[in-house]
Amino acid sequence: MNNAVPATIVLVGNPNTGKTTLFNALCGARARTSNFPGSTVEHHAGLCTLAGGAVEVIDLPGVYSLELDLPESLVCADCIAGRLGPAPDAVVLVLDATNLQRNLQFASSVLRRGVPCVAALTMTDAARSAGLVLDPASIGTDLGIPVIEASGRTGIGLAQLAHSARDIATRLAPPNPAIPYPQASPGTSTCADWASGIFERAGGRPTRAGMDPLTERLDRAFTHPVLGLAAFLTTMAVLFMSIFWLAGYPMDAIDALIGALAESVRSLMPGGLLRDFLADGLIGGIGATLVFLPQIALLFFLLALLEDTGYLARAALSLDRTMRRFGLPGQAFLPLLSSHACALPGIMSTRLIPGRRDRLATILCAPFMSCTARIPVYVLLCGLLFADAPWLAGIAFAGCYALGIAAGLGTAWLLRTTILAGEGRAMVMELPPYRRPSLRTALLVSRDRSALFLRNAATVILSISVVMWWLSAFPRSEPVPQSQALRQVAEAAVAAGDELRAAELVAAAESLDAQTQARSSFAARVGDAVQPVFEPLGLDRQLTMAVLTSFLAREVFVNTVAIQVQSGDDVSDPGTMESMRAATRDDGSPLFSRGTCAALLIFYVLAMQCLPTLVLTAREAGGWRWALLQLGWMSSIAWIAGAIAFRLVAA
Amino acid sequence: MTNPTPPIRIPLTQLAPGRRATVDCSALDALPEGDRCLLTAMGLGERCELRMCRGGHACIVQVDTTRLGLSQEVAARIMVTPIDEAS
Repeated sequence: MNNAVPATIVLVGNPNTGKTTLFNALCGARARTSNFPGSTVEHHAGLCTLAGGAVEVIDLPGVYSLELDLPESLVCADCIAGRLGPAPDAVVLVLDATNLQRNLQFASSVLRRGVPCVAALTMTDAARSAGLVLDPASIGTDLGIPVIEASGRTGIGLAQLAHSARDIATRLAPPNPAIPYPQASPGTSTCADWASGIFERAGGRPTRAGMDPLTERLDRAFTHPVLGLAAFLTTMAVLFMSIFWLAGYPMDAIDALIGALAESVRSLMPGGLLRDFLADGLIGGIGATLVFLPQIALLFFLLALLEDTGYLARAALSLDRTMRRFGLPGQAFLPLLSSHACALPGIMSTRLIPGRRDRLATILCAPFMSCTARIPVYVLLCGLLFADAPWLAGIAFAGCYALGIAAGLGTAWLLRTTILAGEGRAMVMELPPYRRPSLRTALLVSRDRSALFLRNAATVILSISVVMWWLSAFPRSEPVPQSQALRQVAEAAVAAGDELRAAELVAAAESLDAQTQARSSFAARVGDAVQPVFEPLGLDRQLTMAVLTSFLAREVFVNTVAIQVQSGDDVSDPGTMESMRAATRDDGSPLFSRGTCAALLIFYVLAMQCLPTLVLTAREAGGWRWALLQLGWMSSIAWIAGAIAFRLVAA
Repeated sequence: MTNPTPPIRIPLTQLAPGRRATVDCSALDALPEGDRCLLTAMGLGERCELRMCRGGHACIVQVDTTRLGLSQEVAARIMVTPIDEAS
């Protein structure tokens, strides 16, 4: 091993063993989340700083065996074998003391590969509470590797574990070759007997599965056909109402900050192309996306808390029968729930679904789930539709989610009864113990997902914003005679000492020039050409242009409209929502009529307005024909439903 | 003298909540290989003892300290031998 490069250790183990908590405690805020090359399986990597040198720690996904034909198992096996890059210098086996026999069977499949290993014995406090006191030294002797009691929650044994792992990694010391690890797979009697022997020598006694009355009661309630569904709907309602209301405060603060920044640029720089680009294109573009970051962070924070409590697994099991009615397995619940944050991780996580037909149906219906990119559009349109009744806006917002779920499940049923007809694979999952969620873990998850959103915003969204600004700013139009006349009057007002009147006149002149620019820009020409297609939805050329650009990313809709509105708005911008409400079409009518708002809202719930999702669908489903089917189906029903909504509301 | 009664094997779905049963090596044969391998690795392996926690469409069984959720379709294909609680 090269001493200049930190040793690499990987954490492996069964799910729910405290592995990720251990990783977070070792690496903390320095961790990053990414995929292995050529894989959609996520892992976390971070640097653990120790006296005498750091080690790189990789947290692999929790698996039950390295030999299963599942993506996580294959990735773990490939990573340990060095088929995904340089082989790790050591493996840390995370063993749950409360379920040691099964964990030991998994450990045997790693140990017999001869890689340098050290084991972390976790959950020992829970084991002691159940009267189980295990001797790590005895387990270590039987396994032929160091075994260290460690806890990510309390910090016990962390330093010792990290130093031991680095020591093993530096020496590349394999497990004791004299120990005959079972060659059989985990779960076979040979492997189970081997694990039982180690367990008993360490102080464990074979006991019958006990009953925890609280767990029994909660499980019965959460998986009850009626109570379970009621609990799920209540949880989701509270979740999304919290996002809508709580996030409002930081959103307002960010909105004000971005507005002040743009205003500073306008006041500090001389008028011209560069000033317009910075204030409207760059700051306006970033701000229109950044303002919704609190909602995204809050969503992932709450989802992480829910997952940590153990509730989400029960919800998936409870929903299995319901989802079967739509041809989907219970495992589709989590990908569809993830798609409410973003369709990309949702589609990626469909790899957990073993059946191909089940998986394809889930991929094709996942983009119907209302992702966070739709939130800016929903917030804008619900706010415009129900400006004086926030509670109605909240109901409309929740209704968008319900409509997306209904359309997605309906699509899944249609697919599973036609082109994807056939039997799927059934639900099998571990139900983790109920526990108090870790705020730290939830914060780290929220941070990771928010950073991912920002990375996307900083690349795709900003690029589109700049292109949109260019399309709106060029070709440059000359000031119209009316605006020139207004400026002359303004100069006269200044000379007369009436500064207020002069400012109003200049603002009016700028508004006229901006409207002229908007009408003659490249964006206007594109919008004009395509606008007849969207006429039945009540869209004019500006909104048509916004819909077209938002195909690359839905949230760009708000940004595109904001740029167009600001270009024709007063420089003392009273706020994005106010600008949108006051915006007019070329004929002077409101840009956002009630009918148009309703049509756009329905359209954005149902339309496949996301190029990255389309590309990922083609990759994950195994061909562009599936992606094009998804695009055609979603666009068609979005257009039809939008046109109907416009007719009904405008009537 | 009478011959000992052969153990009765029943589908897991027929095991009453609270009852215990054992899983033998052929108990999972009716399942597709992928499901069988996964269940075995999750702890529902040869000779394991389980306790039925909840029946019905969302079946929950406990193996040692692990609680497993199974759909009714899977549970119906797992054959178990009930344990006489008096023994």
